[in-house]
Parts: sequence; structure tokens; C-alpha cells
Amino acid sequence: MSRRKIVFSPVTRLSGHLSIEIVVDGGHVKEANVSSTMFRGYEKIMENRHITDAVYLTQRICGICSLAHGATASYLLDTLYDNRLSKNAQYLRNIMYGADILQNHLRHFYLFCLPDYVKMPDSPPFHRQNLADARLNPEDNQRLAEHYFEGVKASQKCHQILALFGGKAPHQHSFLHGGVAVGPNADNISQALALLQEVHKFIRMFLLPDIQLLAKVYRDYFQIGITPGHFFSAGLFKFGAKNEQNLWPAGILVNGQLETPNWELVEQDITNAWFQDKDTPDPYKKRAYTWVKAVQYAGQPLEGGPLARMIISGQYQGGSSTMDRICARGLETLLIAELMDKWLHKLKPGKPPLQQKKELVREKATSVTDAMRGVLLHRAVVEKEQIVNYKIITPTMWNFSPKDRYSQLGPAEKALTGTKIPKPELLFTILGRIVRSFDPCMSCATHVLDIEGKVLAEEEIF
Amino acid sequence: MEKEEFIRLCQDSKSDYSLSDSILKTVKGYRFKHQKKKLPVIWLETNDSGDNNIAFMSTTYPYLGQVFSEMIDLLYSNTFMAAQGSDALDILEEAVTKYKGEFVLVVEGAIPRKDHGLYNIVIIKETESLTALEAVKWLGQSAKYVVAIGTCASFGGPSAARPNITGCVGVRDVLDREVINVSGCPVNPDWFVGTLAHLLMYGRPDLDSLGRPNLFYHYTVHTHCQRRSYFDNKDFAEKVGDKECMFSQGCMGPRTPSDCPYRLWINHVNWPVKANTPCIGCTHEDFPDGSSPFFTPLPAKNPGKGEKNE
Repeated sequence: MSRRKIVFSPVTRLSGHLSIEIVVDGGHVKEANVSSTMFRGYEKIMENRHITDAVYLTQRICGICSLAHGATASYLLDTLYDNRLSKNAQYLRNIMYGADILQNHLRHFYLFCLPDYVKMPDSPPFHRQNLADARLNPEDNQRLAEHYFEGVKASQKCHQILALFGGKAPHQHSFLHGGVAVGPNADNISQALALLQEVHKFIRMFLLPDIQLLAKVYRDYFQIGITPGHFFSAGLFKFGAKNEQNLWPAGILVNGQLETPNWELVEQDITNAWFQDKDTPDPYKKRAYTWVKAVQYAGQPLEGGPLARMIISGQYQGGSSTMDRICARGLETLLIAELMDKWLHKLKPGKPPLQQKKELVREKATSVTDAMRGVLLHRAVVEKEQIVNYKIITPTMWNFSPKDRYSQLGPAEKALTGTKIPKPELLFTILGRIVRSFDPCMSCATHVLDIEGKVLAEEEIF
Repeated sequence: MEKEEFIRLCQDSKSDYSLSDSILKTVKGYRFKHQKKKLPVIWLETNDSGDNNIAFMSTTYPYLGQVFSEMIDLLYSNTFMAAQGSDALDILEEAVTKYKGEFVLVVEGAIPRKDHGLYNIVIIKETESLTALEAVKWLGQSAKYVVAIGTCASFGGPSAARPNITGCVGVRDVLDREVINVSGCPVNPDWFVGTLAHLLMYGRPDLDSLGRPNLFYHYTVHTHCQRRSYFDNKDFAEKVGDKECMFSQGCMGPRTPSDCPYRLWINHVNWPVKANTPCIGCTHEDFPDGSSPFFTPLPAKNPGKGEKNE
């Protein structure tokens, strides 16, 4: 095969807008530019608003990981106001967060991933699927195709658990700074348990066997879409009166060394992003190809998500391939469902576990936690409860970083580059499988604008 | 087929597959004759968070599968469609031609207009890019109905929140034709699926002055709120989490058209006020700025600033 340039656009079945510009040469992917093509300027939107608006407003950055933003903003506000969280608040918040993560993971596998491996019925929205390399036998294929709609129902139940306590989903209302505005009682606990039981059954009887089948039949994908495996996590599921503990630990794992993250070492690089400088968007910038600024830790691209979490917490042993990402996400789905059951039983019926202090004790705070796809960071500077600036760094910015000034590749581009394409008609199929294994959320990746205005000398580089 | 014919077929069947063969042919013919017409739908996402398609996935009765099998032919959707890349683009271009004047264009997200609309590129082709602005105009001129799903598509919403550096607007400001605004942040899936059902069965629904279907948006949240007796008795919550009226906590109910108190969310289990928090007026034309700060009482809200005005 001679050298060709191909545009893979749109990349469907993900959250947001993604295109990939590929150069294929000699049957391999020589170069891949992952291009996020939507920009809203959310950090600018956050300025000059009351700080307590942050929970509801940042949730609207993204619909599929909504509560991740709400939670991170709530933790940030807890720090600013020095709130103390009761045990009930801690458990309830983690139950709600778990529910939104489950909803995401189930939708990711069945709605986004599955049609990459399973022939769907030839009717809209699956018409003209053109699935090259479908390997399942007709019986297995039919069963998994039917599970698509069962998976949708299971994910709806997860949202229902969230809504029982949160009021609605997405963009729930009651997980706020200071705790949760809804009190647990026999009624909502028992409804949640009943829904969770069905979700748990679905995970055990459908999700995991389906993933295992794909992992067996498509086992070559343990060798495809490989990244260097430089993983990190901010930890997941906060406990403690001041949100000071993570059930699953934070960590950075590079070259076999596990370290505690220092969030001051995060940097951004706009070389290939549509920005003139840190602050000013420039959609006409010539060499740029995406709205995502490259994000790195001390100059090192890092990869986040369920695989990173499962490896750092020692719950998954494996590599850093396409199939590893899918398997780890499946494992995490089961683990979270089991945790939620435990936590629901730990709740004590009573008043809404919500205590909101009214006086700020500090004017600056950073809140970092893992979201569905990796590390999520919110940082705010406030003056008399008004937001002076608000910075957000999302998981997909890390995973879908463009090349930096040294042409270092981010995880997704690294996974794509070098991929063997045995036949031209397999190109979209193979690359689609690799990209979707990251569970990209481009709505999150592309809202950002840098801190503007007053920046103190010792502020972070970004 | 007639009953006698069927019985005869069964009795006459030899030990080959001729019986099932003729039955299958007849069943197929019957289904084809009685095939329900579904709505052809092209779903375009623009400057959005994707929350509306996520809410849509949680529809119950009909569940998502039933919507796809009974109600709509979702011909193009970046979120749902199995096809990808240039295959998806081909499908879109062919659908616009084949269903010209028949399809429902669903737009999710606001349309950025500054800098030639470059803040949202929907598809990159080999030699050019298709912005959301261009795509909405192209598809909007051939659609039978245009449905804006969510507040961003209806009125600009959070994508257009101040200072709106991308110049985002609702679809109505980009198209010179009627747009049905199924607003909400996100929509309750019932409002969207119900609007589709109306289009399918009865055509254009009755709309309010802002293009929202009266079926769902005619009454304000306040009209049917279960805490109305607290409001009428001036029994206001002292804080979020209380059981009393949320007006004191910033509730936008009195000026928010929506049936949330009746309809509730996610299989009808809860809604913001029942969850002891204020409504933030997400179906409203000026959401979110007009509802800010969210926890400041309505008369004291000041959309231009962040300070609370007590």
C-alpha cells in the first residue's frame, strides 16, 4: 500500500465530536491526529458567577459524566467552606456517584462498543453498518445484539437509582456542597436496592460474559491499540469528614514506579490546539488540529480511566491494549455495583445529610477526583463568593492530547500510530475499536480556556 | 390468508419445507402491507453536552428499543448510528435527498456563529469541513419539521451563557422557518418522545409563543407543585434539604413552563423540588443566566453578577 491520507470523520458512537486524520503508509498507520471540533469556552462561562452555582453549572459540561463534575465541584466547595460530611453523606454521595458511573459504563459497552464487534440488525440506526471483520457465530452474534437493548434498560435503572436520591438524571440536584439534600429512608433505600439487584444480575449474567466472549474471539486486540501504559488516577470514592480519603487510591504509575501525584506538576501545551495563547481561542491557527490542549504531568503524557484505576489499585493484571481497556471497565462495573450494595446497607435512615457552612475559609481551592474516564480537576479562585476564575481539566484532555511541541504523542494517538491495517476496508473498523476503548468524551475535552486576568506569579504553569 | 387455506396447507404438507416456505411468504406479505409508517429522523448534534441524548436513552414506555422499532427511523445520529466515517456521511447525504420534505430534523445543541461557525465542525470531509452552522441550514431547508431538543438548541442555553464568546444561538436564530422547541436541560425524555409521537400520529403539535409544545409546557412548575400549600401559607424552607417551599432557596417554579411536578424524572420517581432543592428554570428562554444565582430567591436574582442580593 502506498502512502495515503484519510480522514475518519465523523467518529460516531461516542460523546461529542471527534474526527481523526490518518496517514497510512505500507499498511500501517504512520500518523494520527485526533481532532476534537467543538468549543464552548466553559471556563469563561464560569467567571463572575456565585461559587455555589458551580455544581449545577459544571454538570452541564457533559451529560454522560454529569455527576463527576457535580461531585468535583461539591468537593471543591467543601474545601472552600470547610464543610464536614457525615457518614450518611459520604455513603450516599458515593452511591450516587457509583450509579452514574455504572450508567456510563453500560452505555459505553452496549451502545458505543458493541457495534464494532457484533453485526446489528439492518434497520436504523444500525443500517449499513458495514462491519468488516465480524467473527462471532450467528448464535452468539444474535444474543449479543439482543443484549444491546437489555443493556439500555439496565443503564436506565442506574439513572433511576441516581434520581431516587438526586431528583433527576442527568444533572442531578441533591449532591451538593455539604452533603446530600435527600434523606435516606426505608423507601428510597429499598427501591435502590431492588434496582441495583437487577443491574447487578445483568452485569454478572450479560455484561461480563459478553466481554469475555469478545475478549476470546477478538483476542488479537490485546496486542492492538497499545499505549506505553503510563497510568494515573486521582483516586475514586471519597470518604472522611473532609473528603480526605479515597477508597481506591490515587497514584501515578510510570515505568513500574508508583508515586503519589503532585497536581502542581500539571502542564498544558497549545502547540497543536486552536489557541493563540493560553487564553485566546484561534480557530484559524494553521498547524493546529484540535480544541484539546495537550495536558501532561511534568512533561509526561499520562493515561487515565478504568484500566488505570484497576491497575493502580491492584485489582486488574494485564497490559494496556484495546481489549485490556474494555475488560478493566467491565471489571470495574461489577466492583462498583457490589460496593453500592454494601453502602446502601450502611445508610442510616434520617434527615437529609446536608450541612452547608456559610463563610468561606479560603479563596482558592483545587479538587481532584477520578471520573468515568480518568482524572478530573476543578480549580477555583473566588473573591467574596464570586468566581474570579475557574479551571477545569478533564480526563479526555489527557487521553486525547494532541502532539506537544516535541511531537510527543498522547495516549490515543500513541495507540493508533503504528497499527497494522491488513486491508484498506478494515481501516475504520480497527481504528474505531481502538478509539472507543478509551470511552472518549469530547464534550468534556473541548470546553477549556485558560485562566485570564489576575494570575499570581507562583500560579501553576497552566 | 383464509383460515381454510391455512388448514389445508397444514394438512397437505409433505415432509419438506414447503409449508414454512409458503407461510413465511404470506407473513412477510402481510407485514409489508400493514407496515406502520415511522418518522424518518436526522439527528444533528452541535454545541452541546450530549445530555439530551443521554436523557433520551433513559426513556421508559416506550423504551429506546421500542422507539427505534415502532416510532422512528433514526437515519443519522452521531451518538447512535452503527456506521462511521465516510459511510456515515454518505448515509446522511442520501437520506437528505431520499427523504426531502419528509424527515424530522432534530438538533441537539446551540449553533456558534462567530468566526464563520468554526467553533463547531460537524464533519471533516477530504477537502473541506462542514460547520454546525452550515449543516443546520442545509438540513433545515429540506426537513418537514425541525425539532430543537434541549434548551441549547431552543434558545442557546448554557452554550450561550454569558459572555458567549462563540456567539452561540438557538436554532430559531439560524433558520428562517418554524422550529419546535422541546426545551429543558436536559429534556425529560417524555417531552421529546411525546413530541415525536404527536408528529407521527397527529402532525404538528400546538405550540406556545416560544415554540414549545403546550402538551408539556403549558403550565408552570409552580401551578402544580406539591409544595404549593407551603407557598400559599408562606411556609418557606430555611435551607436546601428542608421539606417546605423552595421559593426561599431560589426556586424558579413560578416562571418555568414545565410539568415536572406531575411527570417526575427517570421512570417518574423524583424531581428537583421533591429532592428538597429549587427548580432552576431549565426550560426557560434565559436559562441559565436568568436563573442565576441558582440559590438566590427569584426576586433578588441578578443575572449579571455573582453576588447574592438579599
